[in-house]
Amino acid sequence: MKKSWHLSRRTLLRGSAASLALPWLESMSWGNEKQAEAGLPTRMCAVYFPFGVSLPPANHEHAGWNWFPTGSGKEFEFTNTLKSLEPLRNQMTVLSGLSHPNGRSMGGHDTGDIFLTGASFKGRSYVNSISLDQLVASHVGTKTRFPSITLSSDGGVGEPTRATTLSFSSQGRPIPALASPRQVFARMFGQEDSSVDAARQRLEQTGSMLDLLLDHSRSLRRKLGKLDQNKFDEYLDSVRSIEQKVDRSQKWLEIAKPDIDPNSVALDASPDGPREYIRAMYDLIYLAYQTDSTRAATYMLGQVAGATTVANTFPACIGLGGNWHGLAHGAGKKDGFVALGRFDQFLAEQFAYFLTRLHETKEADGTLLDRTLVLYGSSNSRTHQNRNYPLILAGGNGLGLKHGQYLNFSESTPMSNLFVTMLQAMNIPSDSFADSTGVLSELHA
Amino acid sequence: MRILLFIGLFCCLMVSRAYAQQDQLSVDYGKDIQPILSQNCYRCHGKEKQEADLRLDTLSGDLNDSAVAETWHDVLTRLNLGEMPPESEPPMQADQHRRLVGWVTTEMKRTEELRRSNGGRIVLRRLNRFEYQNTMRDLLGLDLDYAKDLPPEPTSPDGFQNNGATLGMSALQLEYYLKTAREALAKVIVTGPRPQVFHFETDQTSDDSKRSKQNKGSSNRLDDKSSFLARVMEFPREGEIRVRVHAHAIIPPNEGFPRLQVALGVRSDTVSPEKVLGEADVTSTEPQVLEFRGRIEEFPLPSANPKFPGLLIIARNIYNEPAPMKRKGKKAPAKEDPSQPIIVIDSVEFEGPLVESWPPESHTRIMVPRERRWSESQYAEEILKRFLPRAYRRPVDQADLAPMLDLFQKVNLRSQSFEDAIRDTLAMVLVSPDFLYLVEPGNEKQRRKLNDFELASRMSYFLWSSMPDEKLFHLAESGKLREPKVLEARARAMLADPKIERFVQQFTDQWLNLSGVDRVAVNPEYYPDFDERLKADMREETKAFFAEILTQDLSGLNLIDSDFAMLNRRLAEHYQVPGPRGTEFERVELNLMDRRGGLLTQGAVLLSNSTGEDSHPIRRAVWLLDRLLDSPPPPPPPDVPELNPEEASLAGLSVKQQLEVHRKKESCNSCHQGIDPWGIPFENYDAIGLWREEVRRVSRKGKVNLSPVVAHATLPGGKQVTGLKELKNHLLENERERFAKALVRRMLAYALGRSLELTDESTVTQLTEQFIQHDYRISDLMVAIIQSEPFQSK
Repeated sequence: MKKSWHLSRRTLLRGSAASLALPWLESMSWGNEKQAEAGLPTRMCAVYFPFGVSLPPANHEHAGWNWFPTGSGKEFEFTNTLKSLEPLRNQMTVLSGLSHPNGRSMGGHDTGDIFLTGASFKGRSYVNSISLDQLVASHVGTKTRFPSITLSSDGGVGEPTRATTLSFSSQGRPIPALASPRQVFARMFGQEDSSVDAARQRLEQTGSMLDLLLDHSRSLRRKLGKLDQNKFDEYLDSVRSIEQKVDRSQKWLEIAKPDIDPNSVALDASPDGPREYIRAMYDLIYLAYQTDSTRAATYMLGQVAGATTVANTFPACIGLGGNWHGLAHGAGKKDGFVALGRFDQFLAEQFAYFLTRLHETKEADGTLLDRTLVLYGSSNSRTHQNRNYPLILAGGNGLGLKHGQYLNFSESTPMSNLFVTMLQAMNIPSDSFADSTGVLSELHA
Repeated sequence: MRILLFIGLFCCLMVSRAYAQQDQLSVDYGKDIQPILSQNCYRCHGKEKQEADLRLDTLSGDLNDSAVAETWHDVLTRLNLGEMPPESEPPMQADQHRRLVGWVTTEMKRTEELRRSNGGRIVLRRLNRFEYQNTMRDLLGLDLDYAKDLPPEPTSPDGFQNNGATLGMSALQLEYYLKTAREALAKVIVTGPRPQVFHFETDQTSDDSKRSKQNKGSSNRLDDKSSFLARVMEFPREGEIRVRVHAHAIIPPNEGFPRLQVALGVRSDTVSPEKVLGEADVTSTEPQVLEFRGRIEEFPLPSANPKFPGLLIIARNIYNEPAPMKRKGKKAPAKEDPSQPIIVIDSVEFEGPLVESWPPESHTRIMVPRERRWSESQYAEEILKRFLPRAYRRPVDQADLAPMLDLFQKVNLRSQSFEDAIRDTLAMVLVSPDFLYLVEPGNEKQRRKLNDFELASRMSYFLWSSMPDEKLFHLAESGKLREPKVLEARARAMLADPKIERFVQQFTDQWLNLSGVDRVAVNPEYYPDFDERLKADMREETKAFFAEILTQDLSGLNLIDSDFAMLNRRLAEHYQVPGPRGTEFERVELNLMDRRGGLLTQGAVLLSNSTGEDSHPIRRAVWLLDRLLDSPPPPPPPDVPELNPEEASLAGLSVKQQLEVHRKKESCNSCHQGIDPWGIPFENYDAIGLWREEVRRVSRKGKVNLSPVVAHATLPGGKQVTGLKELKNHLLENERERFAKALVRRMLAYALGRSLELTDESTVTQLTEQFIQHDYRISDLMVAIIQSEPFQSK
């Protein structure tokens, strides 16, 4: 049944936002029938950046570098910062005033961890809860080879309140993010050098191994003290979750991984070339969606600790001078709004690149973007301020969302209401998420 | 009452750690805090009125109650924002404000530490990336990159990456452990005949028009633009290879040794990927041989049917920072610069794979010779009986062997060969918790002494970041390791082993947060000549400095101030101190005019706590308080108000003046008066660690503004210091015991792999006294830690 096809026509994909659109159902055939059964996929992506944005007052000489548009509702105008998104204006909504109420009294650097969870760390030890993408993955992730992918520029999980990942499991445990484009590519598209039979045998052996390992580990657990047992449960959970993955892989054995030309993505891009690197990360998410390898993705551009995040040097690496945290702190200084605003603009341009790729790829009678919800923003407005998050929700025109707006909310509306709105648009049954109080009906078409 | 007593006791024990607590020691909620609240707050938040639903007169002062703590947290936020008392009410007196904010902050920090408490027990420790890498290499005897796919490790609140409570596990990690184990075992356990060895030698550089286009012509004479290219047509695709370069140097007077870099790569249409194999100084004008080794599969290799066949060996002279590939408008001079050192390549040799014996030793160590009478299962059991104790770092019993043999039986039926089945079985060993974790069975109710094997592992992971070696295993087996004399002798022998370098690397990097240099971008508008390679040199400097003190048994007080430095050529030139000619670090004696000595004047410390343009006195102060005095100030509160841009511009003010503005805000002052004075004496050192008398600021239009350095500060307690030398003297005269205790605390936390708690205080005090009596010798401290009760018990 497997049709032979190749995406590796380099010119088609390489680094070009204007690459030819690949009609979904025609060019990709795996899982084709399943698609027809379950309808077209719905997808989500969340992109986070730290330290907030440039917010000069309206009467300031550099007001044109305020991140938020001017005007409101349908009548709004982008400032310098987001102007690269103008062609996508009807595919997105800018939101102001939202924040997680639990985050408002947390440390100014502490809120990256809860951007997608809305949890509270106040008054007790650090316990997080499930992140939006993982909830989404538990519903839509069963149909793809990978339930979700988790990326960040720093990689790993970081430390409590300085997470380097946006994704948290149903137990609230951080899910390690991958930072190397090459590693992400190898996981998603790396071709097995063995035959299907050999691969099946390997998976079966892995299955036997994990069974025995689980038995052995359970008996080891009994010998441990209580504290150690709690820690050890992370290991047991991991073994179980690989077991599930092995089961899943067995189902996917017959279906070859999509054959993507590795030269179509800048796999050796590193954070000292931020433009190339950020685009490579976006390219990987794009390819994951386009090949329906996964339907839930997160990318944390940087974490909220200037002293430890690799993203701190991004502005300097693109010739803007200075460190990101420093620019954010210096926003109030003379010309400071421009300095930070130019960097905000740079980030928005990369985001526009990503959205454009999604929007230029056809899917059924719409585009990939029409059925993908992309959340973009920060948990700081200005540095250390955990309110009025700068947020964009893009995509989902095909999922009943209304766009082309600039919406202003008051602090009585928790950001989780946006999450519930997203979940419902994706047809995931949910009345609430974290501390939500309703939905954002302004986004309903 | 019990709680108050407890708080009192706690505060006494915390004396040395207290920074803002200094005046919080005797704070009593009823006597000291409630009157402030009564005078300023109860009118609106008391019995009569409860504005915003907040009632303070009945609010407890015990923040162990999480609901109470949350309310106080909100109060603190309002106070920090300057929202309370509101403008309609009389303002709170400055010292009342300071005391109230200080009390809430201290209590919050204290209860947070209690919450994090694990009752003074080590939580099951997973091997971190570095330990995993070393353990795999020592266990399997093959030098591969085992950790390349593993995510970076989290850092504990005290800065370490070996803290059991912090180190997590996830499916992704376990998946990579399994993949790594399988890939490694495929290399360790070999099958088939001895592989063909390829040998190649040339004295001619191969021309590469592509590289020549970039003004990097190929040549046997290497200046900073040319390179030598050897094209190897026949090479292995797996295994260890060796490149030998026969070369000599031409060194003009007063120049350093040129540095040879050797890379392996391929040529392709688009990018030509390559990876560095190694570097070495060419130290003589006489012919010499420089040898580099690596695993060829870790390098870019030509694809099956390449357009440009062959593996390239690329040799360069990297004496100067490699010039950017594209220089606009500026053509590199065609002739070599006679003032620069030159490397002359006489010839280049390639050999691989290196096979000293077949099968290799790493294979035979696992695959013991098979006796005829053994069935396959018996053979597998013999292999496991030898491998398991080393992998688990303890003797094994039937219960350990059973699941492994079980797996072997299952996979052996379908495997193509016995070796395949063994590989899979051993892979399971390498993802078992007994291998991945330092397992110490027990229960919380009762402390117990470690057994000899557990102690051996704690020692080897503390000192070597790896598994015990044969000698240590042997001592554990003999049951003698815990005999005091044996233990001390072994500890000292381990300290003298070259593997102690791993401890130096890990401990100094994490204790002093040296990786911070990579998070700061040096602004080229301020420092156009800054060589990015200096960042790595700076980290290396601090490590070499610590290693010198440790291995030469010098006083640990050298960390505060010293009359020597550890420098290489680049760094000595950067600091403008006469120094070595090579890239290796050497001891350099200092004089007063060098204005160097101790950690505080080292580039890694100064640069990582700067903005990349200018010094950052607060960051430097926080670093000093946290890392050297173990008194970290509390983090900035939520919603720190930014200085209003509409107010007087801060741009024209010096750092010290800006800080003064900051401190004038009452909410800022309560913390900053205890922080800033520790950072201001550093002001004579700029962002990249160079001495300065004037502060230089460059405006966006390129205008340079100069103002004199002000390095004068009044420390908490009233001591006046000007400049870093005086601050160092103050630390040596008045704070040496506090420093000693801080070092003891950090070292103990690292050795144990957990954060310290109240219950450790007596150990810390005892170790500190010993450390001071032993002239602050770090090796003695490390031995004393190994001998201490917390290190030897579970």
